[in-house]
Amino acid sequence: MTQRPQQHSFNPYTENGGTILAIAGADFSVIAGDTRQSEGYSIQTRYAPKVFRLTDKAVLAVNGFAADGNMFVKKVRQRLEWYRHAHSKDMPIRAIARLIQTMLYARRFFPYYVYNILGGIEEDGTGAVYSFDPVGSYEREACRAAGAAQSLMQPFLDNQIYFKNQTPAPGTSFPQHLPLNTVLSLVIDSFTGATERHIEVGDSLEMYVVLARESPSIQALQNIVGIQERTSTADGERIFVIRRDLKKD
Amino acid sequence: MSSSSIYSPPGFDFSNQLRNNFMLQKGLPLPKATSTGTTIVGCLFKDGIVLGADTRATEGPIVADKNCEKIHYITESIRCCGAGTAADTEFTTALISSNMEMHALQTGRKPRVVTAMTMLKQMLFRYQGQVGAALVLGGVDATGAHLFTIHPHGSTDKLPYVTMGSGSLAAMAVFESGWKPNMEREDALNLVKLAIAAGIFNDLGSGSNIDACIITANNTEMLRNVEMPNVRVQKERDYKFRRGTTAWKKEDVRKLIVEEQTLLIGGDEMDTS
Amino acid sequence: MFLTRSEYDRGVNTFSPEGRLFQVEYAIEAIKLGSTTVGIRTPAGVVLGVEKRVQSPLLEASSIEKIMEIDSHLGCAMSGLTADARTMIDHARVTAQNHAFTYDEKIKVESVTQAVCDLALRFGESVHDEEAMMSRPFGVALLIAGIDELGPQLYHTDPSGTFVRYEAKAIGSGSEAAQQELQDKCHKQMTLKEAQLLTLRVLKQVMEEKLDQHNVQLAQVTSEKGFEILDESSLKQVIEEM
Repeated sequence: MTQRPQQHSFNPYTENGGTILAIAGADFSVIAGDTRQSEGYSIQTRYAPKVFRLTDKAVLAVNGFAADGNMFVKKVRQRLEWYRHAHSKDMPIRAIARLIQTMLYARRFFPYYVYNILGGIEEDGTGAVYSFDPVGSYEREACRAAGAAQSLMQPFLDNQIYFKNQTPAPGTSFPQHLPLNTVLSLVIDSFTGATERHIEVGDSLEMYVVLARESPSIQALQNIVGIQERTSTADGERIFVIRRDLKKD
Repeated sequence: MSSSSIYSPPGFDFSNQLRNNFMLQKGLPLPKATSTGTTIVGCLFKDGIVLGADTRATEGPIVADKNCEKIHYITESIRCCGAGTAADTEFTTALISSNMEMHALQTGRKPRVVTAMTMLKQMLFRYQGQVGAALVLGGVDATGAHLFTIHPHGSTDKLPYVTMGSGSLAAMAVFESGWKPNMEREDALNLVKLAIAAGIFNDLGSGSNIDACIITANNTEMLRNVEMPNVRVQKERDYKFRRGTTAWKKEDVRKLIVEEQTLLIGGDEMDTS
Repeated sequence: MFLTRSEYDRGVNTFSPEGRLFQVEYAIEAIKLGSTTVGIRTPAGVVLGVEKRVQSPLLEASSIEKIMEIDSHLGCAMSGLTADARTMIDHARVTAQNHAFTYDEKIKVESVTQAVCDLALRFGESVHDEEAMMSRPFGVALLIAGIDELGPQLYHTDPSGTFVRYEAKAIGSGSEAAQQELQDKCHKQMTLKEAQLLTLRVLKQVMEEKLDQHNVQLAQVTSEKGFEILDESSLKQVIEEM
């Protein structure tokens, strides 16, 4: 028998399902993700957070290969702490966005297999959402869905946030920004909808709300059951987390 | 041995293998049969058989049908759960059901479970696994209650409790810890429900509702959606659109009848008096 | 000073028994040989001024460069061994650009100052059996002026790697008299124009030659126009107003 060269290959990546989503308002930002982590047809865990508080004004959602995602968040947090020590201030969200780009592009030829969405409050007090591809291309937007159910959610958001394919009633126009209670409802409906039709989405939903300092949008959070505050310093931006159950099948 | 000449060597002809590999390299893979993630089970009890199935049908990671029927009719007292390619399970069971009816008519007897099993395995073997049907066949006949699994290549097993599909491991775990010989009807049904639920909640390929079917010597009870543990939740908002939301570029209203003209050609008018 | 000179003034990383690093102290002495350099911070911006010693009538005064840009919002004036400042300013420029590249924002004045001082301390670094990157401390002091989110700021750095923030600071040969003058004349609510005039007056006092637009240089950092070196015509205008 003739000897032939054998090719072996090792694939270091896995896809762990789940979906993330962020919407920017005039003076707030909502960053959400489901908590199911799966591989193939198996659920690895029903609670693996994909949304992380970075500072009092920035929240990062990571989706894709969970091991890369967790390590990436760890490294971003390390850089934020170094920055805080070097420059004696929290990194502004715009700077975090650029930092994430440089960190992702540094791994251009062995990328973090992760889609990032960064949400929070800009220095001028406006709500911001930045979305990234795995090698660092980024853009500031009003809303973005990423992950397993991106193709289910984004068209819905385009229609409901940007009012795509909708003509306003004569003599009226669509609002530039939606109020917080509407945004929260849209986020919940996006996830319950995706849970119905995507097998990798489910178990539970975690929504982070970042409010600009003294934002009147706080009213919308008054009567929400089980809401938790995650702010670490007084008189600045405020962060809240809201959890909801999703179907577990 | 005159037929095996120098022109065509004896044995199987593998020439198409070369062609297929070539086409694969050119980026033209064979159409891949879609495998439907499923949990299907069956178990023997004192008076007969209980079959169970989830109701989720998938296309890749997308749920195509949230409430499909996976327990197929073979005869009044034989039913078959199908996993695998939806079209294959549906068509195969329908074909065998039809043939079983013919067989019953021809023999004048109630056909047996082994008969259905044999017809199924022979058909699946003939298609060399290309018909992607993985089946759990159960029923009661003159010789008693019988339960089989039939794999896509045609191999079969006869066992007191069986599971198949992507949720088979989750379901089998339940059977292995809970199945006992000569169970009561209610206990067997509960065990089947538990096994399907294990698939629904732990296997992403399975979901939605539980279907069950209890077959005894003189009665078959199809329990469609016997449990519904995954009802859709109420949406937070109404998604009704204002009349006039959709824009149009051009409006053109036409009469369906452009012009109507009645013309009498020759002859006398009809006598209507 | 020279009485205490001993074996201990040779190595840059050897303390004397009294706890002094002679080479660093000598480096600080070197600055006192440099031309006088003045910086004043006002609420509207920072003004930098230097004396250019035009030692020969054949020398092209415009080729003496003692005020340099670090970034569009940062400037720097020097006194001492100005050649050493090139290395430091190169480092400051790289640091500022790197910060802008990585964070999409302007670096803070304190942060570049810190970066420059980190470099100033590298004279002590030498790995066994390897050529050290620096052989001696820098012989130059810098006045780093800039504007960031904390407003206009003026920093002074010296060869020991120490940096301090000032309202007004003079360095170089005439620094003692100049600093005294600044202390007397400076006040918190100065306008930029007042600061320009004060800078020139202070320089004039300590200069041997007659001050004109060729032997001094003025620069400023404002929030409107960032860093700019005043050209001869506008410098002449200010001199005339003196």
